[in-house]
Amino acid sequence: MNTNLKISNVTKIYPGCVANDNVSLEFNSGKIYALLGENGAGKSTLVKILSGVIIPDEGKIYLNENNLNLKSPSDAKKNDIGMVFQHFNLFETLSVFENLIIDSDEQRESLREKIDLIMKKYNFPIDLDIPVLNLSAGQKQKVEIIRCLIRNPKVLIMDEPTSVLTEQETSELFLSLKKFSEEGILIIYITHKLKEVMQLCDEVAVMRRGKLVSVSEIKNENIESLANKMVGQNLKTIKKKKAKTSSDQLIKITNLNFTSEDPFETNLMDINFSVNRGECLGIAGISGNGQSELFQVLSGEIISEKKSIEFNNNYIGDLNPQERREYLMAFSPEDRLEQAAIPQMKIFENVALNNFKSSNFFNNGLINENKIKEHSKKIISDFNVNTDNIELKSQFLSGGNLQKLIIGRELITSPDLLICFNPTWGLDVGAINYIHETLIKINEQNKSIILISTDTDELLKLSDKISVIHKGKLSKIMNAEEVTSEKLGILMGGAN
Amino acid sequence: MIIDINFVGLIIASIMASAVPLILASCGELITERSGVLNLGVEGMMIIGAISGFALMTVTGSLIVAVFGAMLAGVLISTIFAFLTQTLITNHVATGLALTIFGIGISAMIGKNFVGIPGKEFPVLFESLKDTIPLISPILFGHSIVFYFAFALPFMTNYFLKKTKIGLIVRAVGDSPESASNQGINVRLVRYACILYGGAMSGLAGAYLSMIYTPQWIENMTGGRGWIALALVVFSTWNPIKILIGAMIFGGLTIIQFHMQAIGVRIPVQFLTALPYIVTIIVLVVISRDSRKIRLSTPSSLGKSFHKDN
Repeated sequence: MNTNLKISNVTKIYPGCVANDNVSLEFNSGKIYALLGENGAGKSTLVKILSGVIIPDEGKIYLNENNLNLKSPSDAKKNDIGMVFQHFNLFETLSVFENLIIDSDEQRESLREKIDLIMKKYNFPIDLDIPVLNLSAGQKQKVEIIRCLIRNPKVLIMDEPTSVLTEQETSELFLSLKKFSEEGILIIYITHKLKEVMQLCDEVAVMRRGKLVSVSEIKNENIESLANKMVGQNLKTIKKKKAKTSSDQLIKITNLNFTSEDPFETNLMDINFSVNRGECLGIAGISGNGQSELFQVLSGEIISEKKSIEFNNNYIGDLNPQERREYLMAFSPEDRLEQAAIPQMKIFENVALNNFKSSNFFNNGLINENKIKEHSKKIISDFNVNTDNIELKSQFLSGGNLQKLIIGRELITSPDLLICFNPTWGLDVGAINYIHETLIKINEQNKSIILISTDTDELLKLSDKISVIHKGKLSKIMNAEEVTSEKLGILMGGAN
Repeated sequence: MIIDINFVGLIIASIMASAVPLILASCGELITERSGVLNLGVEGMMIIGAISGFALMTVTGSLIVAVFGAMLAGVLISTIFAFLTQTLITNHVATGLALTIFGIGISAMIGKNFVGIPGKEFPVLFESLKDTIPLISPILFGHSIVFYFAFALPFMTNYFLKKTKIGLIVRAVGDSPESASNQGINVRLVRYACILYGGAMSGLAGAYLSMIYTPQWIENMTGGRGWIALALVVFSTWNPIKILIGAMIFGGLTIIQFHMQAIGVRIPVQFLTALPYIVTIIVLVVISRDSRKIRLSTPSSLGKSFHKDN
């Protein structure tokens, strides 16, 4: 049966921001639709409206001519609209089966049979009786998809589904989605990744700043045309000039191990690598394979054996982050608001936070506010942070601006090594470009970078050498020119 | 030396009786905490239950009215907590502490007129069987209905959480209120219900103290049992069966140290009084040290306010 979904004049206004500005769209089953846009373009708001999580200020949703008055997620479910959220809506401590039965009205046995059938049909092998926290991101997503399929949905909405997947898992997902589409499920695919849109979808709607910019068929588009529509301007592409690699070793990691008591963390096993001056070492991997543990060990949040980390001919494995900074290391952690900055503190206060000793910010235990403010202003102008108010609380900066501030803060001491973890995660294209340019500049100044990232494209663009982390083990270190994203994908999945 | 075997039975029975209020309040609080709400007002709800039960018994003369009235009083006072933390999104810790202070104060005020009034005898079940089997009979028979209910409660709580759908929903809300809300579960409703249930159990625990255990009203008669109940929940890693074990150890040591003091054992009284607290915590820490299991049974959202924004 044909399914027709119509969004009619939907508007949603938040204080200070129009998330959706009079958006109208129409979808028909049999096709896969892309909803494309940068972060903050309003696509997540729109799909949250479709799934009943957010109630629009104006506008209507029609499914097969019926006006759906969606007031809650359960309304959307009742109307056969299924949604897989970007951040999984799973209960980590409950078993897979408990996660699935919680919103089902069926008996345990019949539900189990139904799930088994779905898993066989689409080749989703998952143990139903283990807690969700033991699953990989790809498996968790499959659990989310199964949860939708149990209800025989007419519409399936996927919100940025590939951000946590490997290349292989992504292509598996695409196969499944195509299969669902053939079976008559209307698929709406939300993303900011152009390559995926070209690969998977039939039609594409582009959003920018809450407005619908264009609706077109994929065959009439290419990556550049979509990128320009999405950003609203012509983007310059940046490329790294391959420098002559020096042989001057800066940091060397030898037989580094970390065993955690926390079942949520990954153990690091026998990590060995070295980075030369002027070099960028990229560390790829699917999130949750030990990246955050590796970052913490490198930054000194987790102390390790003294001799396991040699930096500039000093053994520093047992030093804390503050002490490591004195040896001219700098760190940009993954979570900007939880680890890198204190959201409730003002910009200039955050700038002072990582410079307790090696600066003239403090005199005899007193804060030298003028010096810090002067310094903060310099960071803001040097690093293009889009604000002129250094008294602003950091939580009010956008992700991109906050990241620029953090990188700027770290670089002001002109460190020999910058270790960053997902520096562009969740940023829009403009900010990503800026961060990438900055990182390339660091290398050109003969300083080194360790870039831990889950974004394969970013790694291929910036790294001189690449290694892959899988279940706490590093693969051998490869020259970036010899590596393709397919090869990385295979290694990220654990194969050799 | 010949030990009277029935005397041993009586001691065990008295240990069990002293564990009853702890089990009731802990199992109630466990449900509240499993839904992600940290209610530090257990002591306050218990003392409100104690005075309400005693006052209603004295005024109406009906034990049934008194027991259910005490539970209702627990529900009412926990409604204040629920309204503040769930509707007005106040901080759980501060609100809970305020609830305890409020409860102690208001119970003392109401209780003024009830000091020195003797309690009523609470009927016991199976009294005729009390002398049938040595050792076993005094343990099993001749107790109040609240006593039997308390010892069934950890098992019922365990069954409820693990086997029933509503139990699953409670755990889900405690694990991730955001996900639960996106799944169409009414997080606020679930948390309200769990808070109110916790209030009812604390109220019952208080009524047990003032109507059955020591049938009289004394100001501040809960004597910190609410805090012990809270500690039991945490140190049992939110496991009702371990609450039972912890409550028994605590009750046991409390009774035994009384006897030791009575016999005149030459150990400082202060140390003996502190003993139940120390040993209970040590034992529970030791039996619950599997960090994986702790992670799986700790409600991830405990004490965090959830606000659904539209």
